Parts: sequence; C-alpha cells; structure tokens
Amino acid sequence: MAEQKPNAMQAMRPGRRGPMMQVEKPKNMKATLKKLIGYIGRNRRNFFTLLGVTLSITAANLLAPALQQRAIDAIEASLPQKLLLMLGLMVLTYLMNAGLTYLQGIFSAKLAQGTVRTMRKDLFARLVRLPIRYTDTHNHGDIMSRMTNDVENISNSVSTSIASLCSSVLMVSGCFIIMICYSPLLALVSTLTIGLTLLASTFITKFMRKFFVRQQRILGAVNGQVEEMVSGYRTVMAYNRQERAVDTFNHTSDQLKKTAIYANIFGGFMGPVMNFISNVGFLLIAIIGGYLASLPQDHLLYITVGTIQAFILYSKQFSRPINEIANQYAAIQTAIAGAERIFEVMDSPIEDEGGNAPYNPKTVKGALSFQDVHFAYEPKKPVLQGFNLEVEAGQKIAIVGATGSGKTTVVNLLTRFYDIDRGSITIDGTPLTAIPRGKLRESLAIVLQDTVLFSDTIARNISYSKPDATMEEIEAAAKATGADKFIRKLKDGYDTLLTEGGSNLSQGQRQLLNIARAVLADPSILILDEATSSVDTRTEMHIQSAMVALMKNRTSLIIAHRLSTIRDADKIIVIDHGKVVEEGDHDTLLSQKGTYYNLYQSQFAGIAT
Amino acid sequence: MKLFKYLKPYWFWAILSPLSMIGEVLADLWLPKLMSLMINEGVLKQNQEILVAIGLRMLLIVLLGGLSGSLCSVFASLASQNFACDLRKDVFKRAMGLSFQQTDKFTTGSLITRLTNDITQMQHFVEQCIRMFIRSGLMFLGGIIMMLSLESRFGLILLCSLPLQLLLMALVLKAANPLYAKVQKRLDAVNNVMQENVNGARMVKAYVQEEREVARFNEANDNLTDTNLRVAFIIARLSPVLSIIMNCSVVAILYLGGLQTMAGAMEVGTIMAAIDYNTRILHSVMMVSMMFQSIARGRASAKRLSEVLETEPAIKGGDYAPKTLGAITFEQVGFHYPGFEGRTVLKDLNLTVNPGENIAILGATGAGKSSLIHLITRFYDTTEGQITIGGKPIQDFDLTALRDKIAVVLQKSELFSGSVAENIRWGNPDATEEEIRRAAEIAQAAEFIEKMPDGYDSVIAEKGASLSGGQKQRLSIARALVRKPELLIFDDSTSALDLSTEGKLRRAIRQELKGTTLITVAQRIASVKDCDRIAVLEDGTLSAIGSHDELLKTSPVYQEIYRSQTKEGGMIDG
Repeated sequence: MAEQKPNAMQAMRPGRRGPMMQVEKPKNMKATLKKLIGYIGRNRRNFFTLLGVTLSITAANLLAPALQQRAIDAIEASLPQKLLLMLGLMVLTYLMNAGLTYLQGIFSAKLAQGTVRTMRKDLFARLVRLPIRYTDTHNHGDIMSRMTNDVENISNSVSTSIASLCSSVLMVSGCFIIMICYSPLLALVSTLTIGLTLLASTFITKFMRKFFVRQQRILGAVNGQVEEMVSGYRTVMAYNRQERAVDTFNHTSDQLKKTAIYANIFGGFMGPVMNFISNVGFLLIAIIGGYLASLPQDHLLYITVGTIQAFILYSKQFSRPINEIANQYAAIQTAIAGAERIFEVMDSPIEDEGGNAPYNPKTVKGALSFQDVHFAYEPKKPVLQGFNLEVEAGQKIAIVGATGSGKTTVVNLLTRFYDIDRGSITIDGTPLTAIPRGKLRESLAIVLQDTVLFSDTIARNISYSKPDATMEEIEAAAKATGADKFIRKLKDGYDTLLTEGGSNLSQGQRQLLNIARAVLADPSILILDEATSSVDTRTEMHIQSAMVALMKNRTSLIIAHRLSTIRDADKIIVIDHGKVVEEGDHDTLLSQKGTYYNLYQSQFAGIAT
Repeated sequence: MKLFKYLKPYWFWAILSPLSMIGEVLADLWLPKLMSLMINEGVLKQNQEILVAIGLRMLLIVLLGGLSGSLCSVFASLASQNFACDLRKDVFKRAMGLSFQQTDKFTTGSLITRLTNDITQMQHFVEQCIRMFIRSGLMFLGGIIMMLSLESRFGLILLCSLPLQLLLMALVLKAANPLYAKVQKRLDAVNNVMQENVNGARMVKAYVQEEREVARFNEANDNLTDTNLRVAFIIARLSPVLSIIMNCSVVAILYLGGLQTMAGAMEVGTIMAAIDYNTRILHSVMMVSMMFQSIARGRASAKRLSEVLETEPAIKGGDYAPKTLGAITFEQVGFHYPGFEGRTVLKDLNLTVNPGENIAILGATGAGKSSLIHLITRFYDTTEGQITIGGKPIQDFDLTALRDKIAVVLQKSELFSGSVAENIRWGNPDATEEEIRRAAEIAQAAEFIEKMPDGYDSVIAEKGASLSGGQKQRLSIARALVRKPELLIFDDSTSALDLSTEGKLRRAIRQELKGTTLITVAQRIASVKDCDRIAVLEDGTLSAIGSHDELLKTSPVYQEIYRSQTKEGGMIDG
C-alpha cells in the first residue's frame, strides 16, 4: 500500500478512499488538458499566487537542511554564537514556511473550488439547454456521475495535485542542482537509486493491477447481487428464494474475500520493497561518500564530512517528491479522464433559439398542419413516413394506434423536442422552425404519462408552468382538476413539501398535480400523452369534466388508449406505420370496420368478448 | 461495538498482525540509532570497515522489518477480509429474512448501501485499526523510550510539544467536523437539482423554465462552494500549525543537544537520531488522531449494520404445514400499514375464498386490493380480525410451507439477471425444460421467447430493461405457473397486455389449471368479467360480491365502474 503521508486535507475528509482506485486513461489528453487549464486560467490570480507561494515554500524547504547542516557544523566546531544564529534563522524559515503553507492551503482551496464551481455552473447551464435527444439517448446515471464523481475528482486534483506537483518538480530540480554542485558522483548514485525505485514501483504496480482489477470485478458482482435481491425482495420472498439467494451470495462473498486477500498480499510488498531500495541508496551514499572524504584534500572528488550529511538529507528530500509525482500522476490522469467526459457534454450542440417570426403565445389560435412529415430517431429506422394532419383551431384530436406506431413522436415534433427530417409543420400557418423556440413552447402545455414533480411545495409545483401565479390562481387550477380535495387533506396543504419526485403521493395524485399545472399554464394548444393511463377509470371519470373544461376553446391533441378519453374527440386519427390510415369521428370510424374497428374490438370492447 | 464478535474467529490473525508489526516498528526505531552510529563511528571517523559493517546490518534490519511489515499486512488483511466476509453474509441473510414492513422502513436503497459501502467501511476500519492504530501506538511509545534513552532532557521538549499538538489538532477538527455534514447536505442539494433536471427535462423545456432551473442550480452550487471553502480554510490551519510545532522541537533539540555536544557529553550523530525520533513521535500522534476520525466513521457504519442485524423478522411462522390449504376466510379483517396508524387500508372485511374458486377483486386505486393479497401471503399481518386457512389461523402456518403453495404475480414484474429459463425456474427450481416451455406457452410468452436470439437461454439484462412491460408480465406469469400452486394470485399483473392476449391467457389458464384457486386483482372489468365471483372493494371494505350479471343489477359502485369503462351500456354488444 501507499506510504502514509501526513496530508491533512486528504486524510481528514470523510468517506474518501483511494488505494483501490482504478486509474483511467483519458482519450485525448492534450486537448482536454488544454481546456482544463483554460478553466483554471479563469482564476488566474489565484493560480499565480498559489504558484508563487509554492515556489517560496520550496525555497524554504531547500534552505532548511542547509541551515540545519550549518547548525550541526557549528556544534561540531563548538561555536555557540554561530549555533544560535543558525537556530534563529531556522526558526525564521520555519515560521515563514508555516505562514506560506497556510496561504497555500487557502489559495489552493480557492482555486479548486472556484474552478469546480465554474465547471459545475457551465455544465448545468449546458445540460439544461441540450436537446431532448441527448437525455433520451444517454444513461441518466451516467450524466449524473459527470456532475458528481468527475467534478469531485477534478476538485481533488486541482486542490492537491497542482500545488504538490509544482513543489515536487521544483524540489527535485532544486535538490538535483544542489547535489550536483556538492558532488556529481554522489548525485549520480542518488539518481540511479531513484531510477531503480521508480522501475520497481512500475513493475510491482503492473503486476498488482490484475489482482485489483479482479477484485474490483468481483466486488461489482457482490454489489450487483445485493442490489438485485434487495430491490426485488418482494419476489424473493413470494417464491421462498431467501435461502438460495443467501447461498449464492455467500459463494460470491467468499470469492471476493479470497481475491481481496491476494491483492492485499501483493499490494503489501510495495512499501517494504521501496523502503529497501531507498535504504540501499542511502547506504551507497554513505559508503562512497566516506571513501571520497578519505581522499587527499586536493583530489578532484574530495568532499568534507559535512557534505555527506547534507547529501543524506538532500537525497531524502530528492526521493520523496519523485514518489509523490508518481502518485499524483495517476490521480491527475483520472481527473483528466473525468474532465474529458464533462467537456464532452459541454461540447454537445445545444438547442438553438429557433426562428424570429412574430409569434404571440397568448393570441395564437392553434391551427396545426402537418404536411408530408418524415422523421426517424435513428437513421434508416423511419417512424413517421409522409404523415399528414390538419387541425383547425380549437379542435380536439385524438390520436390512436398500436405501440410504436409513432403517436408520441407527433408530440415530440410539435414541441420541437425533435426536429423533422422532411416535410413541414405549421401553427396558424407559421412554420415551427420560424417561431422562437421559447415562445412556441409557451403556447403549448403537455401532460405526459410519466409525471414530473420537483422537490418543492405543492403550490410551487403547480405554478411551475406560471411562476408568477397567485395563490388564488393555483387553488383554482387545483380545484378545476379535483386535486384540491386531496391537497387539503395533507398536513401542510399547498405548502406540503414533496420529496423524491413526489414519492409520498400516489400515482393518480401526482398526475392530478401535473394536470393542474397544465390548467394553470392556460395554453393555446394542449397535449395529453397517455395522461390518464395511470389513474384508474373511476378517478378518470371524476376528472373527466375538468379535462373537458381544460380542453375547451383550445386545440387539444390527445393520445390515449382508453375509450372514455377518445370518444368525445372532434376527430380521431389512426396512425399505423408512421402514416395516418384513417380519420373521422368515433361512429364513422367504427362503421368503416378498418384499423380503428379492430383496435376497438381488441381493446375497448373487451368486456363483450 | 457489537460487531466485534465477527472478528473473534480470526483472533489468531488479528493478534499475529500487530505482533509482526512489532518487528517492523523495532526496525524503524532501530534504524536512526544505527544511522547515528554509522555517522559517529563510520563517516566522522572515516572508518570504512565499520561503515560497511553497520551498513550491512542496517540493510538486514530493513529487510527483516520489511518482511515483518509485509507479514503484518497479510495477517491484517486475512483478519479484516474474513471478518468483512462473515459480516456481509450475516447482514445479507438477515436482510433476506426481513419482513416487508421492515424492508420498507429501512428502504431498499439504504439496505443496499449498508450491505455494500458500510461493509467496506468496516473492513477498512478493522484493517486500519489492526495496522495503523497499533503501529502508531507502538511507534509513539517506542519513539519516546528511544528518545529518552538518548538524553532524558529531550523529554522536556516532548512534554511541551505533545500536549500543544494534541490541543491544536482537537481545536481544528472540532471546528471542521460539523461542517462536513453540512457539505454533504449541500452536495445532496446540488445533485438533487441535477437529477430532477435530467429526469424531467421534457417538463422544464415544455414550460420554458431553463432560466429558472439555472438560477436554482447556481444557488445550490454557490452554497456548496461556500461551505467547501469554509471547511478548507479551517483545515488549512492544521498543516502549518503542526509543522511549526514539529520544526520548533527540532530547533529545541539542536539547541539542547548542541550545548551538550559542545560540553562533550554528546555526539553529533545522537542529535540527528533524536531529530528523527521526534519526527516519528509527532507523526504518530497525528496518525492516531486521524484514526479517531475514522473511528467515528467506522462507528456510524457499525451502528447502521447493527440495526439490520438486530432486527428480528416481524412476521414469524408457526409449524403447521398441511398438504392442502383449504378455504381462506377473512373475518372482520382490519389493516393499516405499520407506522401509518391513521390511514386505514382495510376495515371490517369479511370474505371467503373457496378451494378451486375463480374469484376477482375489483376496486379503484387505493381501495385496498393489493393489501388484501399481501395479507394472504403474510407479507404483512392483519391489525384487526383474523384470516384463517382451512379453519386454522394463518399465523399457525409454517411460512415456507404456506408460500410454497401460493404463487403471486406482483403488480411490478421483478426479473433477475440470468437467462429466460432461469427466471422462469425461480417459481420451481426442479422444473424440467418441458415444464418451463409449457408454463411459457400458457402465459402466452412462448412466442416472443422463441423469437429471441437464444430462445430460452437468452440472457435478461438489467432486470429486463430490454423487454416490454407486457413481455415482463408474461414472464412473471410463467414463473408463477411453473410453480403449479394451489393458489394463484394475479395482482393487477396483466395491465400491460392487450385484451386479446389477456383473453387467450385466461382461457389457457382455465383449461390447464383446473382445481387451482385463482384470485385476480384488477381494475378493468373486462379482465374479470368471467370470474365465478367478483368482490368489489370500496374504501377498504367489501362493497358487493357476486357474478358480473348480479353485480350489474345490484351494485351501484360496480355499475359506476362499468360505465366509466364503457361509457354507455349499449356499447358492450356493439
């Protein structure tokens, strides 16, 4: 294991462990590093102050052994005055060093936090403006981990690595120069042993790595099993699988134990081997130095005894930062790999502002026209192929079709979550792409099957669609949907704080809040995408009147599979394979005995079969 | 620390480890002394022979020290890994034995963290305790002894520096500690905003609230940065203060030692050795205080693990294990979820399910349908009244025997990693391939399974993420069917199937599973129309029971549900 170092900052932060951390290699080190430096550069003042402070500390650290050496020389030569002088200088140096170290701590924290704060800010600002396609096609956990783990790694690296890397490099070069001045031969010996240490450490690390990789893998398996069995405990229990689960788990757990012990055994050799090599170097310096000191004084290689002692101190100071650089290198690599992932998000193209045609969300009538629309989420897998639809302002349109027929895609295109590949969509005759994106969305309200609630009060969740709504307006919206009844039953009423996306509410209640939100938005165009499939039919019936009121005087697109929601529509369109195959009202479509009739038979009229 | 008993079986390693540590510490303590000897006798007196002799001795000691250090780490890891392994097994076993209400109380997320992070924490903790704590302690004591043996007056220096160091460290840590919890809270807030925006991106965009979210995030971000900086500023004091103390004692040693040497009572090498010991002592004090931090952390983990270990399963079975179950009777049953005393789920419920009967339970969300099912499988216990099976109170039944005769298809289909066949086999570990195929056929799953690349051997990844809701439900149903249960319960588990598939499924079940008692929980009348009897639940109690036709005539609640699903009666035949 790595040598224990009194790095207070790192050791004292709870919950952070490094020994088994896997080093990750960035793909494009140079470009990422450049960008990262750009971020650090925004705190230029902090950075250069930190650099200056670090430089001074290094100088103080180089000075200290020299002073100590003089002090010992003074003792040897019995010069009390000189000893006192040297001790006084030492105290001064140390005080200065301490003061500088404090400043270093402050400035490196400022630099790290400042950098990370800007990064987080930029990352989030970017993320919020990324197209829906991005969130749809990327794993949410993965996106989250960029904000958490990757940023954290960068913060650690910036706060500790930069300072320690700078001081290490300065220290090594300083020591090296001084050592060469003292005795080139001994300097060579010192350098050789350090080379040997490095070589040994790379070799051992490489050898060890496979054990740690294996350990990591089995740990993953153990955690996977825990996750699966604990979150599926209902099924585990219903099928009496507890014992089997325990057996399997015990087996994996044993495996983990075995690999971990192997990894530890080999890992444990690292320290002693390094220690041994550095002591061999130390001994070589003492022996060769002793020999050189015994040479005649006019010999080219002659050195004094004091020099040997200074050398021993310097060679110690020489080797420590080299180990540190090696340690930091791994941490920095991981951080850069993290930065790469963050920049990848930041470099993704964001949504544009849309067009600049005059468009007033409040006065829009809501006549929609889809003409020969083609669209595919993935190339060569067309979803809409020549989709045509005319909707008059204020019409209620129901869209039905089998799963995967492209119903939701219509919504995605109308809201410009996705853009069409070919054809055109217009609102009141204005092409979607000409309308400013924000204004377009202001004229729409959507209610989706998956409810979205934020950790905030109920009132603020309803007013999400209209942040400046008064309490009266909010309550009116809740009353219109029938949500008011259950809200009042809650302890804090409208001020009830929702936790974890509203997990303290039932699915139906969550959806009522989402519908209330749409009511409050008072849009020209309303989109209900399977909005009521998660509430039961009776509840749906009870909010039906609210829905009817909500849909009055506005263009409404309803995607649903329940008959009750669809029947009242002015026009029902049936989508199949990305095209409108039938349209008309309920009775007309039924009498056609086509696709709608079949769908109806298999789904809505099930009671009769 | 009740978890200590898990270390007991490995006391041998746990003791051997610090013992071999002594070797390492001795070597570490011996080295400065040898070095001083080497400088005094070898270098200063320019005696190459002594130099080489002492040097070789040094190397030997380094080698021996390193060896015992390695052994120590091997023993420590043997002890800590075995400890962690046993602990993990026990906690997992306990977690698997918890009743529903207890798992709900812990929450699955927290249980998972306890089983993963907390165990790892404990393992690190034990390993650190064995190695670092004892090492630092030994180093501390040994260093003091060695230093005093060099010159007793050096003790004075330690007497000043040690308490000062401890005091200052305690002060700094005390100031910083409460802030860590705050940092965590602020970090959670940042992550929360992020999470909500990732999951609710559509809503944010649809209502054009990007600016507001950015503002919300910036506030959380700034708060986090502020708190982080506060902690960092406090911690930044620690390092300079400690280095001043350490270096000032070096100066003091040089001064005291210098006077002695000049008086001829000491040699230069001795001063060097004393400086070395001084550094080690102060360093070990620092390590020990760091250990206190990790003890606090270890304690928190230990507490969280003990909580799980000390939880006795709330529901225990009896030892009655009959061959067949018989009629299930609910007598005046009342129920509320543990901890939700005010919210009655079921009340005054009377219902008898006869063997071989095909009964449905219908009602709105929150009417108590699923709770009723949970009581039959004893996932929960009634809070009032009682349930009897075949005339015997349900509490008398052996839990395994009871659940072996029942197969429940839950509302949420939970699949596990493994192949399709393995997942179905969950229902009955001894099922033959033929039986699995048969179950899949009845469950209407055979068709899509055979279309999968490897058929029944296709691997289900990530809890069935690649399957549609309907496919997952059909696999869960096959899993229940292969059990060949006496009582089969569908808890709203066909909601993702279209009616024609559901119809085929019901017909197949009726034909294949004659004699099996069937309880179907549903919201759709279409799913339950053909059952022998339909029990209509309303607000936690039985509102009506009877066949479809009877209920249509007599039950207003049923009529209302019926209308809501058909809009108008005439449509049924239309």
